Amino acid sequence: MRKFSNTYVFLYVSALVLLICVVLASVSIGLKSKREANVTREKYQQILKAAGYKDVPKKKTVSFFQEIAESEKGGKTSEQYHIRCADGNPGIVVRVQGKGLWGPIWGYVVLSEDGSSIKGVSFAHKSETPGLGAKITEDEFTNAFIDKKLYDQNGVFTSVRVVKKGQEGDLLEENRVDAISGATITSRGVDNMMKELRIEN
Amino acid sequence: MKKYLGPLSKDNPILVQTLGVCSALAVTAQLKPAVVMALSVTVVCAFSNLIISLIRNTIPSRIRIIVQLLIVSFWVVLVDLLLQAYFYEISKLLSVFVGLIITNCIIMGRLEAFALSHKPWPSFMDGVMNGLGYGLVLVVVAFFRELLGSGTLWNHQVVPNALYHAGYLNNGLMILPPMALILVGVMIWVRGSGVDR
Repeated sequence: MRKFSNTYVFLYVSALVLLICVVLASVSIGLKSKREANVTREKYQQILKAAGYKDVPKKKTVSFFQEIAESEKGGKTSEQYHIRCADGNPGIVVRVQGKGLWGPIWGYVVLSEDGSSIKGVSFAHKSETPGLGAKITEDEFTNAFIDKKLYDQNGVFTSVRVVKKGQEGDLLEENRVDAISGATITSRGVDNMMKELRIEN
Repeated sequence: MKKYLGPLSKDNPILVQTLGVCSALAVTAQLKPAVVMALSVTVVCAFSNLIISLIRNTIPSRIRIIVQLLIVSFWVVLVDLLLQAYFYEISKLLSVFVGLIITNCIIMGRLEAFALSHKPWPSFMDGVMNGLGYGLVLVVVAFFRELLGSGTLWNHQVVPNALYHAGYLNNGLMILPPMALILVGVMIWVRGSGVDR
């Protein structure tokens, strides 16, 4: 290998870093709108799924959502929408968020108009374990939430708890769903997230 | 062509050189992320090799590791951005592991051992074949983990419901990283026993 002077080394690295920065920054800026559109579309897709709409084509997601969204009512601390659900009835969409095992988890809960029961949910996660915690996004888990009640027989807010089989305690069938076996922490995360569920006016 | 085939078996980066095992354990619970990961590593490895080989005579040897890291990071970030823009769902599946390609020893290893001392075209091919050798192991491991762990392949159910009704259960251990290590161990053993000879 040739010997290089210190000046050469310094200039070489500086030039290389600068070049890479410029290229990556331009690519990043160039693709920014596309990435943001993906994020928005995904959000609407999640809400539509929670509201019971199946098979909305990817490309039509945004326009379809705008069609069924009756008003965008932002709560003080969380996003909230009033939409028309797939069964024709109005529903309130509330965003929930929390922590899984490896990173954030979040979701959209569609409540009946009086806010007492769940019409549907959809969850998402940043980096839960595939096949374990990641199962919170699957229908098998989310369908269990449909028609569950947020209040117990005395009218006390219990939310819908995610509990392991055998640890139900006094919880009514309509106030709980089964946790995912092998994904204790993620299930607990969903449980905590659901406990925080509030409708804001 | 034959001289490039080594990484597929007798010089396989995972099975023989035991490099890149970490990510092989992490992304192989299902086939789809494993395949995308394999392709991403192949692209990054091939193009990093190509660039380093092109500029190999200008790189001061004192800072060659830094230069290699810069080039690898450049391609990884680029791949990550493109995945996010055009293959959003898949990029979410891979999450942090795309970024972690930067620390994949296979890539640094090929740059250091091959690209620094070879011409661009052989270097590029070396990168492609090493990426594919890595990907081959990923796909095989992911195939068994997804099939036995979730009863699906490429997210489609393949284990018939009748079997579940008869009492068959998915093997929960399959979706955990330790089982990936065991499977990689089995593959190393099978390869070492000389089936490819």
